Amino acid sequence: MKFVTNCNIVEILNLSDKQLLDLSKRKVLSLSLTEMKTVQEYFKKLKRNPTDVEMETIAQTWSEHCKHKTLTGIIEYIQIKNGKKTKKTYNNLLKETIFKATVELNKKWCLSVFKDNAGIIDFDLKNGVAFKVETHNHPSALEPYGGSATGIGGVVRDILGVGLGAKPLANTDVFCFGDPTTKPSKVPKGVHHPKRIIKGVVSGVRDYGNRMGIPTVNGSVYFDHDYMANPLVFCGTMGVIPKNKIEKKVSPGDLILVVGGRTGRDGIHGATFSSVQLDQSSDVSAVQIGNPIVEKKVLDAMLSARDLNLYRAVTDCGAGGLSSAIGELGEKIGAVVCLDKVPLKYDGLYPWEIWISEAQERMVFAVEPKNKKKIIEIFKKENVEAVFIGQFTKDKKLVLKYDKNTVANIDMPFLHDGIPKPTRKAECKIKEEKLQKTVKLTSSELLMVLKKSLADLNVCSKEWIIRQYDHEVLGQTIIKPLQGNNIEISGPGDGAVIFPYAVIKGTKKGIVLSNGLNPSYGKINTYKMAASAIEEALRNAVCVGGNIEKLAILDNFCWGNPNKPEILGSLVCSANACYEMSKAFSVPFISGKDSLHNEYSIGDKKFSISPVLLISAVGVIEDVANTITMPFKNSGNKVYILGVTRNELGGSVISKIKNIKDAIVPNVYPKESVPIMKGIYKAIGKGLIESCHDASEGGLAVAVSEMSFSSGYGVNINIDHIKTADTMSAAEILFSESNGRFIVEVEPKNESRFKEIFKGLSVSEVGCVSDNKFVIFESQKEKVKFKEKLINLLNAWKHTINW
Amino acid sequence: MFSIEIFTKSGFKDSRGGHVLADIVSLGFNCINKVGYCNLYLIDGKLLLNEAKLIASCLLSDKITESYNIAKCDGKDSNCSFNNNVVASKTMIEVLYKKGVTDTVSSSVIKAVKDLGINKDIKVKTGHRYYLSGKFSKTVLDNIACKLLANTLIQEYKIKSVK
Repeated sequence: MKFVTNCNIVEILNLSDKQLLDLSKRKVLSLSLTEMKTVQEYFKKLKRNPTDVEMETIAQTWSEHCKHKTLTGIIEYIQIKNGKKTKKTYNNLLKETIFKATVELNKKWCLSVFKDNAGIIDFDLKNGVAFKVETHNHPSALEPYGGSATGIGGVVRDILGVGLGAKPLANTDVFCFGDPTTKPSKVPKGVHHPKRIIKGVVSGVRDYGNRMGIPTVNGSVYFDHDYMANPLVFCGTMGVIPKNKIEKKVSPGDLILVVGGRTGRDGIHGATFSSVQLDQSSDVSAVQIGNPIVEKKVLDAMLSARDLNLYRAVTDCGAGGLSSAIGELGEKIGAVVCLDKVPLKYDGLYPWEIWISEAQERMVFAVEPKNKKKIIEIFKKENVEAVFIGQFTKDKKLVLKYDKNTVANIDMPFLHDGIPKPTRKAECKIKEEKLQKTVKLTSSELLMVLKKSLADLNVCSKEWIIRQYDHEVLGQTIIKPLQGNNIEISGPGDGAVIFPYAVIKGTKKGIVLSNGLNPSYGKINTYKMAASAIEEALRNAVCVGGNIEKLAILDNFCWGNPNKPEILGSLVCSANACYEMSKAFSVPFISGKDSLHNEYSIGDKKFSISPVLLISAVGVIEDVANTITMPFKNSGNKVYILGVTRNELGGSVISKIKNIKDAIVPNVYPKESVPIMKGIYKAIGKGLIESCHDASEGGLAVAVSEMSFSSGYGVNINIDHIKTADTMSAAEILFSESNGRFIVEVEPKNESRFKEIFKGLSVSEVGCVSDNKFVIFESQKEKVKFKEKLINLLNAWKHTINW
Repeated sequence: MFSIEIFTKSGFKDSRGGHVLADIVSLGFNCINKVGYCNLYLIDGKLLLNEAKLIASCLLSDKITESYNIAKCDGKDSNCSFNNNVVASKTMIEVLYKKGVTDTVSSSVIKAVKDLGINKDIKVKTGHRYYLSGKFSKTVLDNIACKLLANTLIQEYKIKSVK
């Protein structure tokens, strides 16, 4: 090979193990010793040293971000329960748990799972629905605004890059932040104050989503000290795609077209950086800045090119930039790319920088030579820069050129399949959970706990965030994030429903989006956290009218350092929960993502985040007219609770308020929940349910109060009528966070038909909606009764986050 | 080079300034009593004053709620003297992107200036100015700038005296 001056040879052939590791660290390659030795062996066979472009390409392709090597590697797992050890070896955790459930469920309406940029399910005869949720944690910790904006920009591009491109219809966002009330003096050096991170992240998502003209319709926020130095930012996008545009096909001879933003030094080493723990000296070039206007133009232009069949494949430039995008498209055939043709923001970039830069808003297309002129014209019309930079070949080699000199020449099979499988140890000790001492509270204490629960950061109104987003643009959001009588009085909706009538003409169908997240349970038991998150996501979808038989879910794992056996062990445990719950609920996973190494060091101290599994659900509703909201609708209507309340206060809001130790974390009972969820769908379809809300954080007391104050109607609840599995005190019944429970409102005239549907299931009539403006809870057995004005409860809920 | 400040007209609420003040107070600094906020655009190129005025009034500001200041600068520093009608203040913190950081607003401005019919090659840098009034030390200002106004990873700030 001939080399140009700005491409360097990296001496590795004669390096010792220590020197190889030093090199990996010095160049931020994030490759392990075994991986470095594999690279060394490969180049020994070629009898030459690699160029810097080649080393960077390998490091990027083999990065945790792109290859998910922890979860697809070998894991030797030991589980210890009641002193008993069980061992299991996983050769590919993802394939043996999450993906396995999807394969076994074999739902015909899953059109594309785990193979493309997003999962796709069936919508109608001609269209599918694509959904993807991504994380953007490390960039958001460094630059909250830019990090979260590029997070939403990236996941929108995932939807543009699925199949031949889907049209984005809605965004979702879920965050985990530190406590915003932290005293500034308690914030470690080099870390932004949680409130600054929150404001930055929210404005980033707001500005990018609003400027793209995509509504942000659903989300969740969780606050805990653990996320102060390492916030978690999850961004999701849902879109629709014609069924005949789902398959990509790249053939040798197709031209490589790069479209959109110019390439600069932004986000160099983003992919390998995500495998590195954060510390105070993190690199400036890992920061990316988004430009929604460019992405909007790319979106418009590419969808018109798609409908004219002007390209055969597309993918987005995400982590790893062109290297990742072209590498993926040409994996099975080969590609030649002229790096000097890539449009640059400024001069002076090294060839390897051009190749792996993560500059935003770029897409790569495979274009048949005959369409060369036409496609350029379309992008030109929209003022989008589009340049041909190479061609796909058939020699299974990745060849990169700069000024006519070859700067890289690697075999595709080595690049994509040559990565040695790491072996990691994992251990999970299942803690024994004990029932707490009975929690007995007086009437006034119960009211105090209710008010504190409503004002708790994890329960309180997120209106300050929600109202910054445009959740109405495109005019298709029919079930909205805040629901209630008017703009001043509203409660938290469970899920969102999009009615895509403007894109799919004449349709009656809707798309439901929801999520489930319970990090507080994960501190005690990650299995139950995962199971609860899945159930919560499904419950939320069912509450607005979702059909559990047409719901699919996505996983997003955010964990600490997987090199620590106990951390990886807790992940394996939750992946097992995913498999079992997916099977039990008969709800397939269609896509997912993991972000590991969420660990932050300040000086000698290491902070690891509490594990988080976000479950996002997407489903198709046959008739959007059959959707409901959570506020009560009329006085005189009956209030029913579906599901059983158990003594499960572990990780609950009341356990935090009353400092309760030793409690049981809510478990999931699919055999009880599935028939109830099916029943709700049926009952909503027949118009038998006026409003529905699930009991989650804060339990029944919070859920009933939310339904009441958002409607302006009062409610009387008889605690003694609530069905429980064990003997429980009033406080335990009201604030237990047991899964599988729904509060529904039924008109008296519909009661008998309603009961018919839930015959044999756990259903109890607990109270009545009233005209007075009070929420009243009463137990004659325990002789407690408390009564509070709706406005006071609303204010308790509304004013925690009001910046 | 022209430096253009866009500020909220008196009679309208300077909400950004108000929010920054609230954040300063929540950081524990009670010595600031008012914050005035301006968007800042530094435009380099062979522009005439009239053209700069056209850009400021028709492109960068909202004619109803905002007004602008224009000053000529020497190019090395954007320390320009304004008739300070933003807030009665003697101190200002100016925040600009560091060199090499993508400034997306700047590229939109460059394109929009061409669309306005001014066909000249220009370079644009965007930033923020915060005019502070109250009694404070430089340490306090550094703290406010670092903890609130500038992310020093990608931005740099200067504390300036207002003439």
